[in-house]
Amino acid sequence: MSIRILFSTLRRHSMMPALVLLQVAVACAILCNVLFLVWQQLQPMLAPSGVAGNQLILVDRLASPQRAFTTAEVRGGEVALREVPGVRAATAAFGLPMVRGNLMDIALQGPTGVKVGVNGYLGAGLIDVLGLQLVAGRDFLPSEYRDFGIGGTHEKWSAGGPQPIIITQALAKRLFANGRALGRLLTDPSDKNDLGYQVVGIVRHLLRNQLGLATNGRADDTVLLARRIASTSTLSYAVRVEPTLREAALRSVRKVIQQHFGALLPTGITARVSTYRSRREAVFKSQRAALGLFAGITLAVVAVTVIGIMGLTGFWVQKRTRQIGIRRALGARRADILRYFLAENALIVSIGVAIGMLLAYLGNALLMHYYELARLPWSWLPIGAVVMLLLGQLAVLGPALRAAAVPPVVATRSV
Amino acid sequence: MFRYNLELAFRGLRGFPKSTVLVVLTVALGLSACMTTLALLHVLSADPLPGRSEHLYLAWVDTVLAKPTNYQSLNGVTQANYRRIKLADAQALLSAHRAVRQAVVANMAADEISADGKHAQRAQLILATSADFVPMFGVALRYGRNWTAAEDAAHAPVVLIDTELAQKLFGTVNAVGRRVRLRNTLFQVVGVIAPYAPQPHFYGLDSFIFSSDGGENLYLPYTAALDAGLSPRSADGCDASYKTVSRLGWSDPAHCASLGFWVQLDTPQQVAVYRSYLTHYVEQHKALSGFGKPATSQLFSVAQWLKLQHVVPDSVRLNAGLAGAFLLLCMLNVAGLLAARFLHRSGETGIRRALGAPRRAVFQQYLLEAAAISMLGGVLALPLTLLGLWILRRQGSDFSGLARLDPLMFGGLFVMALLVGVLVGLLPAWRASAVEPALQVKSA
Repeated sequence: MSIRILFSTLRRHSMMPALVLLQVAVACAILCNVLFLVWQQLQPMLAPSGVAGNQLILVDRLASPQRAFTTAEVRGGEVALREVPGVRAATAAFGLPMVRGNLMDIALQGPTGVKVGVNGYLGAGLIDVLGLQLVAGRDFLPSEYRDFGIGGTHEKWSAGGPQPIIITQALAKRLFANGRALGRLLTDPSDKNDLGYQVVGIVRHLLRNQLGLATNGRADDTVLLARRIASTSTLSYAVRVEPTLREAALRSVRKVIQQHFGALLPTGITARVSTYRSRREAVFKSQRAALGLFAGITLAVVAVTVIGIMGLTGFWVQKRTRQIGIRRALGARRADILRYFLAENALIVSIGVAIGMLLAYLGNALLMHYYELARLPWSWLPIGAVVMLLLGQLAVLGPALRAAAVPPVVATRSV
Repeated sequence: MFRYNLELAFRGLRGFPKSTVLVVLTVALGLSACMTTLALLHVLSADPLPGRSEHLYLAWVDTVLAKPTNYQSLNGVTQANYRRIKLADAQALLSAHRAVRQAVVANMAADEISADGKHAQRAQLILATSADFVPMFGVALRYGRNWTAAEDAAHAPVVLIDTELAQKLFGTVNAVGRRVRLRNTLFQVVGVIAPYAPQPHFYGLDSFIFSSDGGENLYLPYTAALDAGLSPRSADGCDASYKTVSRLGWSDPAHCASLGFWVQLDTPQQVAVYRSYLTHYVEQHKALSGFGKPATSQLFSVAQWLKLQHVVPDSVRLNAGLAGAFLLLCMLNVAGLLAARFLHRSGETGIRRALGAPRRAVFQQYLLEAAAISMLGGVLALPLTLLGLWILRRQGSDFSGLARLDPLMFGGLFVMALLVGVLVGLLPAWRASAVEPALQVKSA
């Protein structure tokens, strides 16, 4: 049996294969894009956070815009939190993982000229409080910290050389050609007068808090700066606790925050005190909903395509029962018939997939236009293609087996 | 002939129960996915105030005395700008009275406490505005009266509350004459309104865009609100000379652009006149050039405003697109299944044709069968769509709670079902009716 027979049959009865082909093309286009969307949603959820998640309590939405919290009030909160039983460390901070209200938006430029937008976490002793793993260099020295506050005391870093910075491993690789970052300098591309940064330490992982950008290798685009929170109008705390005493500590932390700041907050603003885990749950809620939806779409697309191919091929096999009988009578084995139908399906699906990949790319271009979405990488297309080919073979297996079971004697009937 | 064809079509439906069920299910699945996403998109992109919104415009003059920031974020961080103005400009535009109606609008937060202190609603969103708001935005008064422009000017401590708040604070819907305490000032209730919450919340996008649980429940003159120590919740920028940072629930409208200014303009001519008035107004602010700012004024219609502020979430449009693609797939699938079952009956078709039925009659028979199947799918899609919307409402985002099927979309579902049926039936019906009678009769 040659491939020419395959083609000539397809040409003569073109409607059925054309419909299968179109279905495969559309299904392939949808699947490629949906799987890519799933991947975009999954990346921030799968990225390692780098923090000691089950030991963290975060406090935010402490805001006092009319009169900034004084440095004494900020320190007082820290001291009171450290006295709570079960608390190992606590610090006032600005920008914290899973806290999306306070964003520190920093631009960095490496010696190679590459520019990276990163999120910064500020606060004294954050490595210890967040439980980060330092893989090279050192933590900030107590003497290096300078005061920081929003709408309060904000010391500009305008003297005494570049400010020390701690970056992640991923950033070290991206910003420096050979990945060796310790002691090297980074500049701020948006401010020519800035003194820049000097890398003093490197941590293994630290998930950024602009989670929408935590895709395509940007999850760890996070830095620590040597800043101590002083007088500020917006305040948050990170508290590290003994994991076994976490629930009790959470209640005590709530009480302490209420005692210290309850009277200072304006109407309509309440502090939020919760564990890192529960924030993570809340932050990824919409992602999980989207994933559920995409899973539903994938399942429906797969089911509809498989049913469609099965139905059409089944009918087509039935139409050609006599031809199959004749071929069997002329000496074709069952395996030949089976192979013929599988090959035919593979051929149709391959053409469909080729068109589908083109559609997928057009669909992605459309999505990029209307929706902030990254370009579908070429490497994703073969995944869709392989999935579709397997689905096609699976769907055709039933009808093909039925065709192979046609006895040669059929050829002699109803002639 | 039509009735006979219809009968044949229904006979065809019953003749292949398995394939009929499959096709109906597929159509229902595709239609319901499409309708669920379209219904949400329809709700979210609906006109917030039908009949009124086309006459409402947001007026903006940029008089903030500060250098414009030209900071470019590598993280895509942008500062929202709700095109608000400072107090002095709001007062000047209000007293100029160049539009048919005009209103200052600012959301504030306050505890609402009945005068006897027994009942309180904590941390509520309220609206500080001016006298024209009620007639301009179509707020329905139940009891009492609206406050007047004279009361605005006199900083009179009066409020309008909605029936729900009246019930909660005073145990009666007719609370006219009662008093409510905001911060340390007692305000007199002069009128009670029906709960008012247009979606999207286009005149206060800084507070929320969509909300399933209503909007502001208390309205008061902005002059009296500022006197009471209440303040707008955010601002679009402050004068450089003003040191206090204005964000996070508090801003001073004297120095910060924190008041929205809406005008009613009924004719295109009025719009043009008002536009040039604004331009002229802002050009008088000579001090702006010292900050390197060109004189800027803008006038947005409600539709332009909603588009500019990107009110309909991208994900909703994306999902509608995906559902559309899925419906296309379902239609291709159904076309294939229908073609198979029609061609399966080639013998029957051949006999009909041999007995003298024209090709048109056969075509009609099969098209009717396709339409009937699709309508069945449409009927099944209705509960599926309602289920889909119910799932959406439970997602808990601020807009998904609004997902409903209104009569228009309900009708749309059936129009779409019929359209799908005809589109899907065309090719198979044409193919089946092209059968040569002689050939089929011979082999049957």
